[in-house]
Amino acid sequence: MNRVLSNKKTILIFVLPAFVFFSLIIILPILYSGYLSTIEWNGYSEKIFVGLENFKNLFADFPKGFTLGVKNSFLLAILSVFVQIPLSLILALVISKGIKGEGFFRTVYFIPVIISTTVIGQLWLKIYQPKYGVLNYLLAQLGLENLQNSWLASAETALACTFFVIVWQYVGYHMLLLYSSIKSIPKSLLEAAKVDGATNTQIARHITIPLIAPMIKVCVTFALIGSLKTFDLIYVLTKGGPIHSTEVPTTIMYRVLLTENNYGLGSAMAIFIIIECLIFTILIQKGFKAESYTY
Amino acid sequence: MGGFNKKTSKIVTLLLCFVLMLGVVGCGQSKDDNNPSSPSTSNDATNNDTSNGTSEEEKVTLEVWHLWTTESDGNAVSFNKALDEYRADHPNVTVNIDATENEAYKTKIKTAISANEAPDVFFTWGAGFAQPFVDADKVAKITDYLPDDALANLNMASANNFTYDDGLYGLPFISWVGILYCNQEMFDDVGAKVPDTYDELMTAIEAFNAKGIVPITVGAKDAWNAMFFQNVATIRTAGTDLSTEALKKNESYDQQVFVDGAQMVLDMVEAGAFDPSALGFTYDEAKIALLNGECPMIYQGSWLASEIQNPELSLVSNKVVAKNFPGLTGGEYNKQFLGGAIDGLMVSNTSKNKEVAAEFVAYITERMAKESFLQGAGIPAWTIDSTGETVDPLVQQIVDLASESEGYVVAWDTFLSGADVSTHLDLVQELFAQTITAEEFAKKMQEVNE
Amino acid sequence: MNLREKIKNLKILQYIILIIVAFVQIYPLFWLLTFSLKSNLEIFGKNPLALPKSFMISNYANILVNGNLLTYLFNSVFVTAITIAFSTIISAMAAYAIARMCWKIKEHVLTYFLLGLMIPMQATLLPLFLMMKRTGAYNTPWALILPYTGFALPMAIFIFVGFFRSIPKEMEEAAFIDGASIYQIFRVIMLPLIKPAIATVSIFTFLSCWNELMFAITFISKEQFKTLTVGIMGMVGMYATNWGELGAGLVVAALPTVIIYVFMSSQVEKSFTTGAIKG
Repeated sequence: MNRVLSNKKTILIFVLPAFVFFSLIIILPILYSGYLSTIEWNGYSEKIFVGLENFKNLFADFPKGFTLGVKNSFLLAILSVFVQIPLSLILALVISKGIKGEGFFRTVYFIPVIISTTVIGQLWLKIYQPKYGVLNYLLAQLGLENLQNSWLASAETALACTFFVIVWQYVGYHMLLLYSSIKSIPKSLLEAAKVDGATNTQIARHITIPLIAPMIKVCVTFALIGSLKTFDLIYVLTKGGPIHSTEVPTTIMYRVLLTENNYGLGSAMAIFIIIECLIFTILIQKGFKAESYTY
Repeated sequence: MGGFNKKTSKIVTLLLCFVLMLGVVGCGQSKDDNNPSSPSTSNDATNNDTSNGTSEEEKVTLEVWHLWTTESDGNAVSFNKALDEYRADHPNVTVNIDATENEAYKTKIKTAISANEAPDVFFTWGAGFAQPFVDADKVAKITDYLPDDALANLNMASANNFTYDDGLYGLPFISWVGILYCNQEMFDDVGAKVPDTYDELMTAIEAFNAKGIVPITVGAKDAWNAMFFQNVATIRTAGTDLSTEALKKNESYDQQVFVDGAQMVLDMVEAGAFDPSALGFTYDEAKIALLNGECPMIYQGSWLASEIQNPELSLVSNKVVAKNFPGLTGGEYNKQFLGGAIDGLMVSNTSKNKEVAAEFVAYITERMAKESFLQGAGIPAWTIDSTGETVDPLVQQIVDLASESEGYVVAWDTFLSGADVSTHLDLVQELFAQTITAEEFAKKMQEVNE
Repeated sequence: MNLREKIKNLKILQYIILIIVAFVQIYPLFWLLTFSLKSNLEIFGKNPLALPKSFMISNYANILVNGNLLTYLFNSVFVTAITIAFSTIISAMAAYAIARMCWKIKEHVLTYFLLGLMIPMQATLLPLFLMMKRTGAYNTPWALILPYTGFALPMAIFIFVGFFRSIPKEMEEAAFIDGASIYQIFRVIMLPLIKPAIATVSIFTFLSCWNELMFAITFISKEQFKTLTVGIMGMVGMYATNWGELGAGLVVAALPTVIIYVFMSSQVEKSFTTGAIKG
């Protein structure tokens, strides 16, 4: 069997289609971006080779706040890993243990993920709307007028407000991944533990969570990478404003590339984001030494 | 192995079906492409003849891109009218239209031009937006491809935003002007006078604030709305000539008159002219506050007039009067306007039918000038004959105001290009957030010029 | 007695929390529905979350009559279906080779594919545009299918590799002894085993294709090939937008998503209960 499984021709047949496709559609454009990041070009003019100048400019007292964007994306990453994933895990654990309406809850919790970002964004814009938005309305009803705020319109609160929506929207996403992983644990294992008199919390701590550790790792990786290149919701909610307070690397990159036509600098940002994601992924792989359990 | 085959997953079968479909439908689609009777191509294309001849008799196909996607846009109506006439007049020319929404259009046209894949004719803004296209030789100098008399009716003064170093590169159809729309009824209710001067404006602001009404609605989240105020205030303090020279980087912004312009905005913010959370409102939200009769004033382009007068969209039709932005007592620039002819069409240098394309541009823009005017979208950039046509009273007020104009500056975000635009818009938003002083504003604007 | 009551109370509390969360999650759909039945004046009016005063069915009538909505819908379905089929097949194949075959550089190849997860889509717009133009794919459905498939691969391979690795070796060994070829094993044994993964991957691929806007706008200029998102964005005017009609368009776009999701989700459930993976 091992001979069949190491047959060079077979391996090639299996891997080559995806490999060629991926290389052409994803890697080639990025290599081109890598090349663009070393030149100065507005899309129309002569291309001037500037070496690593664009990368230096990313952080050298840059007026567009790339440093701030990177900081914000780190903050989002921390929130995602330490708030979003634990929440998703709790939800997944609760609904996967066979409560009534399991299918209903699982389906409904995922709904924010399947609705397009435009709709989610519009909804939250209306919730945060300072004049007649629901949030301020509820606060007024509860007699908490002093907590009323202009939310997305104020540089102090806008970041927290946008991040809240992002974290909320993807709770269902991670929940589904974790849920399907929990569901693939053989029932006999959990039943045996129950017979032994283990409580739900004990089962979760000592059996379920260790067994789904690989999926938790997946979720953490996705959440991290997702945070570092988050774009859609921020673009719909604030476009990085007010006054750059909600800027993240991709919103700056989008503007520099497609509004200001600074292809060199924009491509340098893209390369920076890729490298940043790469480093974090490697760190997770190294730091999260989850043994692969077999059952 | 028979057992295995029976168990073959339905999903595999499904996937195989898709693959088959992929082949079959793929071919079907490409056939459709060349089939003139295909139903979905009515608006679009019969690409069966793309021979590159330029003589009138030969068949020619023109690709045209624009951004008038909705019928509620007055320019969309006038473009389609002009296009119908053109098609009737030019049976040998097939025109393929592609309309894309505003924000997406900007990305799309820039991407296409930098890839040398621009359509024959495309909508663009003049001045700074198209500057890089002209600099890189991507657009055709339109006068090279037109007969001498083609532009006889063009109002050359409005074409200045399409004039670059050595000539005319595109044709405008309409000029917009910045207008302070005032809800007369609401002014009467609080006993204030519709302002002609800055002092009267401040008095009115006070009167409305006393009644708990936000005086001026502005969607400062879309920064260009906020920018209008700084731009027009600077016209009052510095005038259009100096503004233009500074935008051209021939003059410094770091002068008292520019500081004064910024200070006017700050004064208005401080006086409570705007909602304290104005930075959270989009253009649409701000506009609705006027149309619903919640706010008495908005400073916007002339394009808003048709919407104000449309009873389906507005509760204040025929209650609104048009004013130029209030003048300063003793100011010498009180009759100048923010605005200009910035919307237009250009011909790509990669077009194989430049003569046909140029004639198309002239034909369409001249007709659009009249139709868009009648739709209330602005002031025509061509000399038109509108005798016998009924013009909306609000539009007529705007025309009358504009006819006395002593000068224009186009909105700064269209004059500037590239990163300068975002820098400028950022600074204006900071004025609205009061995180910057007028002096700092002028200094930081000057950094753009250095 | 006491303990039992406590547990019962806890259960009720748990349900209350679950239901509140469910309400919060489902509210956007409901809100979208009310939004699509309002006029501009109401949408931006005093209470944006109120029910519509007069149900503006005309919003739906207008978009269905005036626009090419059905064409857009067909295009979206077409592009999405082919993307899902195509990317699922080739990624499952690659994942199988990576997870279960023996070759030296397989870990490196996996890393190479996973690189794709880190790439921001916006950065590839210009290069891909050039590529689509040069290859003639521009302005055909392929201009979307190819990039969507490319961007779907890393995630799909990632999920598939994880699933393949969790399948015990004995499953294949038995088949080998029966004399099955590796292709038969892949098709007949492995694919059914990873059904849950296929469902998961399909859902994710579906979502990213169905809602994608930037590529769809830039790579397609022909009316007959435009997708739903582009069509809906076309309702946003430069200076004037009918937001109610836009909302109606969004409902039409969201409907298939919800239906397909509910359907797929029961598929996932089914493969769990029939025990595709029992180990």
